[in-house]
Amino acid sequence: MLFNSLSFVVFLIIVLGLYYSKILNWSGKKRMLLLASYVFYGMWNPPLVVLLWISTVVDWTAGKKLATLTSPSKRKMWLLLSMVVNLGFLAFFKYGNFLLENFTNLVNTIGWDFQAKPMDIILPMGISFYTFQTMSYTIDMYKGKQERAKTFLDFALYVTFFPQLVAGPIVRAKDLITQFYEPKKATLNQFIWGLFLLTIGIFQKVVLADALLSSTSDKVFDSAKVLHGLDAWMGTLAFSGQIFFDFAGYSTCAIGIALMLGIILPDNFKYPYAAVGFSDLWRRWHISLSSWLRDYLYIPLGGNRHGITRMYVALTLTMLLGGLWHGAAWTFVIWGALHGTYLVVERLLKKLIPIKINVWNGVLLALLTYTLVNITWVFFRANDFDSAKRMISSMFYLHPDGEKILGFAEIGKVGIVILGLFMCHWLMRNTSMKAVSEKLPSWVLGVFWACLFFFICLAQGSGEQFIYFQF
Amino acid sequence: MNLKKSLWTAVILGFTFVTIWELYVRSKGYVSELDDNKALWAIQRDKVDDLASDDVILLGSSRVHFNVQLNEWEESTGIRPLMLASDGTTPTPIFEEIVNNTNFSGTVLIGVAPVLFFSEPGKGFMWDRPTKRLKHFYDRTYAQRANHLLSIPLERSFAFLNASEEEWADDIDLKTLVGNISVGNRLPEGRPPFNNFGFVDGDRNVTMFEKTKTDTAFANGIIKVWGYGWDRRPGPVLEPVVSYYKPLIAKFKERGGNVIFLRSPSSGGNRERERNDIPRADFWDSFLEQINEPGYHFEDYDSLKHFTCPEESHLFTPDAEIFTKEIVKILLADKQIKTRNTN
Repeated sequence: MLFNSLSFVVFLIIVLGLYYSKILNWSGKKRMLLLASYVFYGMWNPPLVVLLWISTVVDWTAGKKLATLTSPSKRKMWLLLSMVVNLGFLAFFKYGNFLLENFTNLVNTIGWDFQAKPMDIILPMGISFYTFQTMSYTIDMYKGKQERAKTFLDFALYVTFFPQLVAGPIVRAKDLITQFYEPKKATLNQFIWGLFLLTIGIFQKVVLADALLSSTSDKVFDSAKVLHGLDAWMGTLAFSGQIFFDFAGYSTCAIGIALMLGIILPDNFKYPYAAVGFSDLWRRWHISLSSWLRDYLYIPLGGNRHGITRMYVALTLTMLLGGLWHGAAWTFVIWGALHGTYLVVERLLKKLIPIKINVWNGVLLALLTYTLVNITWVFFRANDFDSAKRMISSMFYLHPDGEKILGFAEIGKVGIVILGLFMCHWLMRNTSMKAVSEKLPSWVLGVFWACLFFFICLAQGSGEQFIYFQF
Repeated sequence: MNLKKSLWTAVILGFTFVTIWELYVRSKGYVSELDDNKALWAIQRDKVDDLASDDVILLGSSRVHFNVQLNEWEESTGIRPLMLASDGTTPTPIFEEIVNNTNFSGTVLIGVAPVLFFSEPGKGFMWDRPTKRLKHFYDRTYAQRANHLLSIPLERSFAFLNASEEEWADDIDLKTLVGNISVGNRLPEGRPPFNNFGFVDGDRNVTMFEKTKTDTAFANGIIKVWGYGWDRRPGPVLEPVVSYYKPLIAKFKERGGNVIFLRSPSSGGNRERERNDIPRADFWDSFLEQINEPGYHFEDYDSLKHFTCPEESHLFTPDAEIFTKEIVKILLADKQIKTRNTN
């Protein structure tokens, strides 16, 4: 089920009605939320709910054993079991065909004539998100950083909580399970603010990502032609805006819906296109994933504890795997590799050229960061290496006679939206929507909210899927 | 800041904005109507398995869609045909799917719009569009079904809910409104604006807009689109189409099915292009001869050949109603279709 759909509106009204009715006690409300979460997921593909159940049962059992067993080898075995099941699902469903294709290419290269038909595998929606979330529980249990969930119901709800089930934020057990222990109810202000966040999230998705940017980005990236530099840039800028509004929109909706239930979810985006440098970017973009990768990959790989070279290796590996997390294709690996390279180069430069950031050089550095991020988006969005290569060469104006496929109006539209996006991020980089809204007169926020609602109605979203559902 | 006040302001103003917009678009002539999208099509496709051997499925492009009126057909035969024709498509992939994936053994009436029908199987937009509809039929999720069912009463009530899968130039959703803005001439002139000229009801029966008949400028706008298409489409093919249909028809007839081909009227410049570029003798006649199946060409019947299409390709609905009654009479006389009417 998508947040930007009519069925979700009905679903949410029913869930909220039951949640705030007096017919259910707290356990009953949690059971209802769990059931609602399975319905939310099953409305897409009912049989794949079984994967959620398996993940839940395996990690609940592993957690229980990790909490009671003292033998290090047995504890390790239970951790491994959890990881094998979770990563096994991920490997089969998400990377099965990718692995098969690369294996085929590899053996063909060494002279073994082997051909394999791609397997007909459905990618379960949000599998990367809930797998990482549930794995964090088991790993934290193993490290003794997390107490065992009090009840199976609490744990199952942690794995399946519908607002963030299919596209995050990836929430740590300590931040979410504990919220299920005591009855939760949103205050009136929390409820209204949650509704506002839901509106602004849907606005980002339906109006900005789908209605204003997606067609330009699709037109440019789906073109088989060698494009004029301006067209290639506008298509890439459009995609940079589309993916931000799409994903941040989802996170904002998730946070808002949870808040309407009185549950607090962490921020996932903090105005990332105003980042000054790449370390800053990853503290602002998909925060729940970057902190997951930091805690469960970068630090275990050695982090910065074993010298500079090892740190750079750990950083690069983390980003490569982070790239692969996004999709089973080498273009995603290149995307991760570029970010890894940027991070390494940034750290080297910081040592060589210490710069004190002020407003003036800050905005220029943010612009430089954003420009370099756009180069990486080409690999993220391109269907294959050939089109990525074509796009990059066009963006560096290597094809002055490249084909023009965007009119002035479309260029202007993307330019206005992206300029607005960048300025908004820059102005908001050290504050939050909540802080800004608290300074506004009530009527101003009301008028703004009404405009969001009107534009959502005007856009009439056709229920386009969120980009990150495929990850 | 008082959030409660903000919420009330937003609710009152938000609904005021939407009401003003609704009144404005109605004042511009827009009416509430269903979108003839893949979800609506899939609901009809879903009914195929429940059809009896005297039932009729209508396949083809917009000509069958506009010209065969379900109410008139039902009135004449007591049987309401199932409308699976889709605008701008070749019927071939849908016919193939019905033959291979269903047990339907009634009559399939296939509309032949020459430029779409005599196209290379598996290629072009005319093949991609029905294939997408079939894919949606098989892949649609429960959430998508629920969304569509919930959208129907809203589409029937509000004129501003006008975004269409067809992406008509006169749609009034934000994407189209912004997309219609034109500045300068960085690009060569593209396809002329293609405006919607009909609306469907729940079972996809089409009614042509009155203005298509009464507003010459509006009709000419559509005629320009046909002209643009003629200049850019690949040439017609016959043998690949014959080869594609032969085994499908054989399989369908083996289980008792009946296939009828129908060539609907066209007029003016469009008719001339059809005569010149896809001559009847070389394509329609030759196709029927090779597959050895009945075909009904409007030129062959006095009762069918006097119609004029306002935009040169489709019949105005009152004419379509007469056309339907006449073609049904002919088909009944030839025992190509059955009737459940007892009188």
